[in-house]
Amino acid sequence: MNVTLETALAAHRFGLGEPDLAVVGPDPRRWLLEQLGPADAPWGEGLLDSEQTLELLKQRSRRLAQLKKMRGQTQDEAVAQPLRDEAMAYRRQQRLRLEANLRSSLGTATRSARPWNERLVMFWANHFTVSEASGKLHGLAGAFEREAIRPHLGGRFKDMLRATTLHPAMLRYLDNQRSVGPQSLAAQHQPQARLGLNENLAREVLELHTLGAEVSRDPARPGGYTQADVTAFAQVLTGWTSVDDPRSDSPTRFEARRHQPGPKTVLGRVYPQGPQALDRVLEDLALHPATAQHLAHKLARHVLADEPPPALVARLRQAYLDSGGDLRALHGALVQAPEAWAAPQRKLKTPQEHALSCARLLGLDVRWLTPPADGGIGTMGQSLMRAPSPAGWPDGADDWLAPDGVWKRIEWTQRLAARFGDGMDARALATRALGPLLSENTRQQVERAADGTQALVLLMMSPEFQRR
Amino acid sequence: MTRMDELNRRQWLGAMAALAATGTTRLSWAGSAGQQQGRVVFVILRGGLDGLFAVPATGDPAFAAARDRFTEQAGAPLPLDGTFGLHPALAQMHSLYRGGELLVVHATGLAYHQRSHFDAQQVLESGGEQPGQLRDGWLGRALAATRRSGLAMSTAVPLVLRGWSGVDTWAPSHLPSPSDDLLARLQRLYADDAALGHALSRAKGVQAEVAAAASAAGDDPASLSMAPGSGAEPRPGMGPAKAGAGDFVALCQAAGALMARPEGPQVVVLDVSGWDSHADQAAPNGALTRRLGELDQGLAALRAAMMAPGAEDAWQRTAVVVATEFGRTVEINGTRGTDHGTGGAAWVLGGRVQGGRVLADWPGLAPAQRFEGRDLHITLDIRSVLKGVLGPQLGLGDRVLGDQVFPGSAALKPTPLWRA
Repeated sequence: MNVTLETALAAHRFGLGEPDLAVVGPDPRRWLLEQLGPADAPWGEGLLDSEQTLELLKQRSRRLAQLKKMRGQTQDEAVAQPLRDEAMAYRRQQRLRLEANLRSSLGTATRSARPWNERLVMFWANHFTVSEASGKLHGLAGAFEREAIRPHLGGRFKDMLRATTLHPAMLRYLDNQRSVGPQSLAAQHQPQARLGLNENLAREVLELHTLGAEVSRDPARPGGYTQADVTAFAQVLTGWTSVDDPRSDSPTRFEARRHQPGPKTVLGRVYPQGPQALDRVLEDLALHPATAQHLAHKLARHVLADEPPPALVARLRQAYLDSGGDLRALHGALVQAPEAWAAPQRKLKTPQEHALSCARLLGLDVRWLTPPADGGIGTMGQSLMRAPSPAGWPDGADDWLAPDGVWKRIEWTQRLAARFGDGMDARALATRALGPLLSENTRQQVERAADGTQALVLLMMSPEFQRR
Repeated sequence: MTRMDELNRRQWLGAMAALAATGTTRLSWAGSAGQQQGRVVFVILRGGLDGLFAVPATGDPAFAAARDRFTEQAGAPLPLDGTFGLHPALAQMHSLYRGGELLVVHATGLAYHQRSHFDAQQVLESGGEQPGQLRDGWLGRALAATRRSGLAMSTAVPLVLRGWSGVDTWAPSHLPSPSDDLLARLQRLYADDAALGHALSRAKGVQAEVAAAASAAGDDPASLSMAPGSGAEPRPGMGPAKAGAGDFVALCQAAGALMARPEGPQVVVLDVSGWDSHADQAAPNGALTRRLGELDQGLAALRAAMMAPGAEDAWQRTAVVVATEFGRTVEINGTRGTDHGTGGAAWVLGGRVQGGRVLADWPGLAPAQRFEGRDLHITLDIRSVLKGVLGPQLGLGDRVLGDQVFPGSAALKPTPLWRA
């Protein structure tokens, strides 16, 4: 088989690396295009959906209320201790849930025959970040990826936008369950509770998920949004809640009592009162030219270069708009772009991408994901499902090139090679996995390594393996 | 060597890449004028330290009613002045206060008055007024303006240091170090990749500095570069060990030893989490009391390292700021803890700090004097204190501080902090 540079770029730039480039086949573009669509069914055991997770949370809330009451009545250790034990058990369960989620997410990406689609799962899950670091999610981040991202990867952006915005993980993470219309029935009946609007979700949907922050900062550009738009959109969002109220029977529901009455004007359009308005706002946002620009730029930056070529971004934007916001069309347009096959490897892999491509290269199974379930990726500076902010993990080479980040990457890779690289021939692997990307220098360094483990480390830490 | 601040970023990166290519990995964080320049340590306490617990306002007429249960349980505060005391776990800080090197700042906080940890930390580190308004950090922008280097005692660059490429990172490792042989081969592997070569070269330099600082401080180099407990058999799955007690003290020791060296870093950031105290806050062996003890020992270790023989009196040129994202409720909650509040306490320490005083425009703790009826009011924007540190320490004028470092803060005057 003829292994071209394009074969290698298909596997490494778009995918997560392959131990043998032959898997790509004779037509690299076709290999990638055929992967597009809904993501693989998640692999793994012990996974709970959001309904089940919230059910546990409800039980926990009930017990907490009991605990508070009992604490108020007694200082008796005989009563307090079992409740403390129970709290500890809950935290242990929560950790196990998070570990099952991590193992599933990484395991699915490691085994998938559609690595380009898995990369896109990671991209969109990061675009719509929910983070366990906030302490509000209780293990919902895994369910979020499985329920709101994976099924919508081959469909329209508006559907993914709706699924993510209304997912209990997002409603909790960005505080919408605490947002109440100031003139709503709930606020009117409980003036002493000072219920009011929380703009967090509205702002991040506009700033991070759709139009982009640059738009609001530039008054000269059409499509800019104002504080009034944020407030009005937050009012549209009132009533949509994820409640751990034991009486609630659905992970997400619309509570009319908390909804701000009256019509709202967002970006110059008037939307009626009620739950249906949200769908319309999200549809309009999804098809907004600024959203197309924001998504096109972000995807091109993610796959290709920290500063992507403007002409490429413009074509992606057009492909998105022409298709009515179809993600498959957007993802496909990048595969078809000549720039994506011409540029040198510039993007530095994130720790997550590095770990996954190492695992695929070495053909590792679930053993490398024995606890902690992230395989130690966190030591490289990226604690999965615990992003530091709603903006998600950064995407520029500079962000991952901090000295200690590179140092820990070397240490982590060395440990991986020492544990799982037994009997592997790095020289043969280098040729099979990197093909034309393998530089003469790297070939020589691998060739001259002191032993087999060191050869594997050099291969996995080489510039052509670190970059994509 | 040419002075760092005369080089622009590109030249600097190029110079470092050239160093990497020749295999020379000597770092010089401070440049030739380093010994005369001021140094800054920023310690972020994540989780919202209860300022009224750490610095009880015992002289406030409303304090006893709200907090007596804690005071009884935690033990008598160490007196500062007629109004304030320090938690008994802060004994070393108390003696620094008496020696005039510790300034206590109270009723301080952010322009943001909500109570989300995440949002408040974003504001504290970015130096803005609202979450998300700024995407890089005030210390990063201050370093960019002065073209100085900084070091975070962590793997990734924390938000407060973002916005400048001259930032190094270092954290103890739980994994075996690469051998010199492997490092030499990696350096050759990166012959044609300037950025990776540069990062590796910096990392090697930082590792070498840590080892040199450790041996200068008379420690086994491994004691600073290895994480506590990492001498044991490696854990399965290559996972990170959880930060345990003693980590912060060890990090402070390492930071102090590094800054004590003439070529050491001028700006260091440490962060320590675990201050969220919703339950059983005052338990004498509880988490918060242990954390306060660690903070106390850590700061003392930092100072001791900078006053050690050969440290060239680094402590005299250093200002340490300890801050948290918000304070907590005045009243004790139903689980013998406190919930998220607004106003809190901060500290400034250093050889030149005009300490031995509590800086507070005290708003009072009576229910009617509280913010929204529940929290300590913020009467001093923490940015004024930070400006008061950065101005003299890094030689930054009010205009740069007001426009670049803390955009839109021109109206906030730097707090005077130094002895005449």
